[in-house]
Amino acid sequence: MIDVKEVEEPKTIPIIGSIEGMYTVFKHLFQKPVTVQYPEHKEDQGDRFRFRIYLSTDDCVGCTLCEQVCPNLTITMVNLDKENPRNKRKIYPSVNFGTCTVCRNCEEICPTDAIYLKDVFETARTKNSFFYSPTELEKNEDEVRR
Amino acid sequence: MSLLTRIAMILSFLGHYPSYILAYIIETLIVIIFGTVVVAGMVYFFRKYMARVQMRIGPNRVGKFGVLQVMADGLKLIQKESIMPQGRDDLPYKVAPLLIFIALMMGFIFIPYGPLAWLGTLTVTHSDVSLVILFALIAIMPIGELLSGIVSNNKYAVLGSLRGVAKDISFEVPMMLSVLAIVMMASARGVSPLDINGVVQAQNIPFAILEPLGFFVFLISMAARASYSPFDMGESDSELVTGNTTEYSGLRFGMFYLGLFGTIFLGSLILSTLYLGGYNGPFESYVGFIWLLIKTLVVVVISLTIWLSMPRVRIDKFVTFGWKYLLPISFINLVITGFIILGGIS
Repeated sequence: MIDVKEVEEPKTIPIIGSIEGMYTVFKHLFQKPVTVQYPEHKEDQGDRFRFRIYLSTDDCVGCTLCEQVCPNLTITMVNLDKENPRNKRKIYPSVNFGTCTVCRNCEEICPTDAIYLKDVFETARTKNSFFYSPTELEKNEDEVRR
Repeated sequence: MSLLTRIAMILSFLGHYPSYILAYIIETLIVIIFGTVVVAGMVYFFRKYMARVQMRIGPNRVGKFGVLQVMADGLKLIQKESIMPQGRDDLPYKVAPLLIFIALMMGFIFIPYGPLAWLGTLTVTHSDVSLVILFALIAIMPIGELLSGIVSNNKYAVLGSLRGVAKDISFEVPMMLSVLAIVMMASARGVSPLDINGVVQAQNIPFAILEPLGFFVFLISMAARASYSPFDMGESDSELVTGNTTEYSGLRFGMFYLGLFGTIFLGSLILSTLYLGGYNGPFESYVGFIWLLIKTLVVVVISLTIWLSMPRVRIDKFVTFGWKYLLPISFINLVITGFIILGGIS
């Protein structure tokens, strides 16, 4: 037989705890709601928040470093017919935002600062693909075909 | 002059008796509309209050501040297809929600609403036994609960209704005993004690001050009658789907839903008439209806805070609580009331 030790519960007045709980609930009535009404009100993202990748095709030299450093093949180089004396091979990065983890390695490694990220994050689309061609990467989000 | 006589005066071209009959019907309609609006308002108020307490915003899309949300929900419920279970007992299945809703709406008729400015007294009926009728109507509601569960051919519904009835039986005896104490107090004053109007007139000092124990018992009983969160064994939404309303959908479910919120408001009305002085205000005034509404709203806020702050009590614990604590407390309350009457404090 195992001796079961009976733990004596501390004696409390039964109603007091309930009233304390009710008071705690009632207190929250006067606090500001934490809900953010998203499309109408936007919260501050902080100064260092980045999401959308931008590309300046005039500065890009087609070195493919961003493609090599990208951890999950988000960036692939594609051909773009554009006259640029510094980019003889005419290859430019394209980005699939469906897989981008925003690690910012591409921005860091780019020798000419052609790739840079901004705090734009509303990239929702209706065409069921998050693939951005180099010309689309140059444009702002509201100019890109959705 | 009361609202009834005012309406009858407007209709006096019809002759004495027809005008009074029509005035009664119109006044009853007004009370039913008042009841429906108040119940819809209760749903909105509850959702908004719950949201604010949980630091959310609550309904705010339909209409200004989401006021029309309840109407939108009601329209949705009316439009929905009513899915009925196979193997049900058809008549009781359809009668049960009506029983609850009609009993609730009839309950609103027997409340003494008191005077409101030049309209005069808004009280609809002046029955000598309105207290008895009111509690008889409240006692009808568990029948609807029981029928809806047993008849809908569903094990969860049966379990829910059995729990609900066990709960109802265990609090109703203490509730009626605490009402008996009030009748004792009122009869010591020489007013007709079974008329709620008389009970209100007897309260120079609110009965809640003279009988705190009775007030406590009655508050808990009204919470249990409306069956919200600490006492929602009939519904038990985490264990029994939704208890006795599991097989109901559409408008019939809406009736149960409105019945729940209406019972909270009706219970608060009864509590403020019987214990908090009803339409008696701190100053001698002719806006007693406003005083009654203010008292009722305070009780409603307390009830909703109870709802939102406490978890469900286990059914056997509540039955134990009802028979072993509430019943002796209400007997002690009766004895104390007797001493108060003998001492002539009232």
